[in-house]
Amino acid sequence: MVWGMSESFDPHLQELRRGTVVLACLRLLRTPGYGYSLLEQLESRGFTTDANTLYPLLRRLEKQGFLTSEWNTEDSRPRKFYVTSADGSSLAETLSQDWVNLSRSIASLTDDLGTPEEN
Amino acid sequence: MTTTLTERYISATTGSLPLETQSDVRAELEASIADAIESRLEQGEDPADAERAVLTDLGDPVALAASYTDRPLHLLGPRYYLAWWRLLKLLLAIVPAAAVGGVALVQVIIGAPVGEVIGQAISVGISATVHLFFWVTLMFVVLERTGSDTGHDWDLDQLPEPRPTGAGRSEVVASVVFAGLMIGAVLWDRFRGFVQIDGHAHDIQILHPQLWPWALLGMLALLLLEVGLAVLVHLRRGWTTGLAVANTALAAVWVSVILTLLGNELLVNPEFVGLVLPSDGSGPDTARVVVVLFVLSVIGVAAWDTIDGWRKAGREAEHRATARETGLPV
Repeated sequence: MVWGMSESFDPHLQELRRGTVVLACLRLLRTPGYGYSLLEQLESRGFTTDANTLYPLLRRLEKQGFLTSEWNTEDSRPRKFYVTSADGSSLAETLSQDWVNLSRSIASLTDDLGTPEEN
Repeated sequence: MTTTLTERYISATTGSLPLETQSDVRAELEASIADAIESRLEQGEDPADAERAVLTDLGDPVALAASYTDRPLHLLGPRYYLAWWRLLKLLLAIVPAAAVGGVALVQVIIGAPVGEVIGQAISVGISATVHLFFWVTLMFVVLERTGSDTGHDWDLDQLPEPRPTGAGRSEVVASVVFAGLMIGAVLWDRFRGFVQIDGHAHDIQILHPQLWPWALLGMLALLLLEVGLAVLVHLRRGWTTGLAVANTALAAVWVSVILTLLGNELLVNPEFVGLVLPSDGSGPDTARVVVVLFVLSVIGVAAWDTIDGWRKAGREAEHRATARETGLPV
């Protein structure tokens, strides 16, 4: 029963988290990073993402001008390093602000539930 | 000839990408995959297993390539589906029927045998339907991939009007009157004769004399069944799927009975035909054209009757569902 419940929660959780990966990338890439390092960073910070979602996402954000990239050939193997652009920073700022507003709204909904007669 | 799995995977992914991004994506994927494999090796995994696991995690290369290029992974998305469906329904209601009717008419007029007329009509009907599906769908697939607008937004004026579904008494009355007239006409034709011509010893029947008694009694029974159906629709307060099925079966029986009798020259009295349409061996075959028009109207009426029953049954089901949801009495 409990299993069945959590499985039916999954699509909703995924939906809620979908946009947060973009924000996390924009924030993490204030210091330059490459695909696989970013994947591990995201994982360790609780934004678990599939590689096949992240790599195309990085290119898309670059195409939209929110990231810039540069090939680094000094390491053991050539890697493409991404860094958040000025546009990317302001997008991250807007997204963060929206996230804060949303969580405040959600908190108010949760509080209301406890004291319905005060409404 | 030792191409590694990774090379094959990367080639499968980048092959369908635009040329200018191919080498960049290839180099980046190579590095990412190598990084991932390396990290697994550090945890003591077998090299072959590590490679397999990393590539399996990346999933179908075609899906990955589609994700790189923002290519849709569906034939028709929600943006175009409804426009596609509306247009298809509209065209399917018109084009195949028109094609079948046209081809049948032409075939008959040029004097093709009955079997060929039916065969041609069916094959044209099927191919018209298939073509319609294919070309309309192809058009929308292209529209979706070129990102064009369908130029068609839904608005409130398109809401269908709720219509009465014809479960009323008037249908029963009409059905009874029609059946009564038909029965009367058939009996009159049999016992008195409609056609009275000077110089003939007896009056001529329109229907073939051999139809009496069994075939004619059978047709009278069918007429009574039609009346029974109308009464049932009235009693059930509307069409149901079962009634629509019965109605369809009845229409099919009518069509096959009439066409079989006609095909075997057992429907119309040959003496009557000879009188009304004397064939002097010259000019176009008038009788043939008359028969064609008659057959087309029999099929048309039956088809309309069938479709009408289903449409009403469908509307009725919708109406009941809405009534259930809104708690209104049915």
